[in-house]
Amino acid sequence: MGKSVRDLMHRGLITCPPDIRLGQVARRLTQAGVHALVVAGPDGQPMGVISDFDLLTGEWLSGTPENLEAMRQMTAGELMSSPPETIEADAPVAEASRRLRAGNLHRLLVTEAGRAVGVISIGDLVANLARPATRRETVADVMSRALVVCRADMPLHAAARAMSERRSRSIVVVSAAGHPLGVVTGWDLLEVCEDDCGDRTVSEIMHPPITIEPTASLREAIDRMIAHHIHRLVVVDLQDPDGMPLGVLSTADIFVEMAGPESVWQAAMN
Amino acid sequence: MMSSSAIGMGDQGQEERQRFEAEVRRIVAASAAGGVTLRLLGSLAFHAHCPRYGYLQAALGRAYTDLDFGGYVRQAKEVGGILTGLGYREDREVFVVTEGGRAIFEHPGNGLHVDVFYEKLDFCHVIPWQGRLELDSPTLPLAELLLEKMQIVEINEKDVIDTIMLLLEHPLGGGDAETINLDRIAALCAGDWGLWRTATMNLGKVRTLANGYPQLSAQDKAQTAAQVEAALARIEVEPKALAWRLRARVGDRVKWYKDVDEVV
Repeated sequence: MGKSVRDLMHRGLITCPPDIRLGQVARRLTQAGVHALVVAGPDGQPMGVISDFDLLTGEWLSGTPENLEAMRQMTAGELMSSPPETIEADAPVAEASRRLRAGNLHRLLVTEAGRAVGVISIGDLVANLARPATRRETVADVMSRALVVCRADMPLHAAARAMSERRSRSIVVVSAAGHPLGVVTGWDLLEVCEDDCGDRTVSEIMHPPITIEPTASLREAIDRMIAHHIHRLVVVDLQDPDGMPLGVLSTADIFVEMAGPESVWQAAMN
Repeated sequence: MMSSSAIGMGDQGQEERQRFEAEVRRIVAASAAGGVTLRLLGSLAFHAHCPRYGYLQAALGRAYTDLDFGGYVRQAKEVGGILTGLGYREDREVFVVTEGGRAIFEHPGNGLHVDVFYEKLDFCHVIPWQGRLELDSPTLPLAELLLEKMQIVEINEKDVIDTIMLLLEHPLGGGDAETINLDRIAALCAGDWGLWRTATMNLGKVRTLANGYPQLSAQDKAQTAAQVEAALARIEVEPKALAWRLRARVGDRVKWYKDVDEVV
């Protein structure tokens, strides 16, 4: 039997009252690390949903001082999508997917016996698509294929922000054509932590990338990381070494695989 | 609200009206001969497109004041050539200041004033006509004529009169041939909440104000109301864009139209 909405949803509601202003909504979204709040009445009953996209309306329409003031006065209850779109917790995941696509929605309020108990979002469905690596022999088996990259003229403060927001411990610096020029890590940024970054750019502190090919064995990769005392290797395509990197292999990729239920590291001990 | 502006209202003798109408024919003929797409809008367009109900303009005190045309900016040079060939002088500063959106011509001999709008009408709201001018002649298509009036936030009596004439004269439908193309109107309103807000507000005003004209028969009033109802219903059912729905939630709290800065 396939998974139900209950299996993937986030249980519990992150709410706000209808009378808070849009600036407060933005703060709450940031603090909670979510993209939407359930607008709930005094009885806790969901009235609607206000999302990051709704907040775009505030910026969109605040082009003049008068309009900005009007939008600053608007409340979550006035701008929310209402009534909230709901789905029963027992519904199949496929139905949630269909509902999201058909309604051009990003999330559904999950109900049990008519009572809101959680939220299922596109992110939850995407997470369900992720598959752990089934093999752990080569670099390609375990590397991260999605990269945080920037150009060499990126200001350091922007690089630091990107790393924080994306929860990445490094940024790969690439040329306009995508060729890897260097890597900036939290370690590299330590040297500027005592000063203001000013106008300095990543090109001033990046270190050359240590590369590896995707067909290399995991053992070779670990040898290279230990030899260079580095936490990550940039994976490049030997057929197109000047092209965009294929991915990054980091210590995190290694230990995540070690922690997987199929990993030899998790097998029962004799 | 309906503006109390008296521009475009007042007694105007038949001879004076015919002088305007003759000048329109002269410009339309010259542009056609020159291969230039120039379409009439404004009061004279409504008169030209309403042979049965055009008499209402004179009966209700609607006066001609100037000649307005719509065209394509790629033909701006040719338009200027045709009008200067007919004795007009262009105020080039207007074309420059409006970045090619509008041209104004004055005739030192007959005192007439010609406004040419390129690509769109851009007053309280934008009414584009790319690819639409070829659908009718010698005026803008009927849908754009109706929107020309319905986009005016502070609508004048003269605009209401023109609208009533148009609604009495032409059926509503999904095409442009002697028909007010509601698909076109609904699509533009569905993409722009501000235009929707103003147009639906004005359609309601037209329905109300039509009842106050003793010159209109009971049947004319009923027909105007029915046309307005049908137009509003069609606009209502058109699927709205996301931007429209977001803007609708904000509503009148934020100004939804541009103030009109008259060039002249």
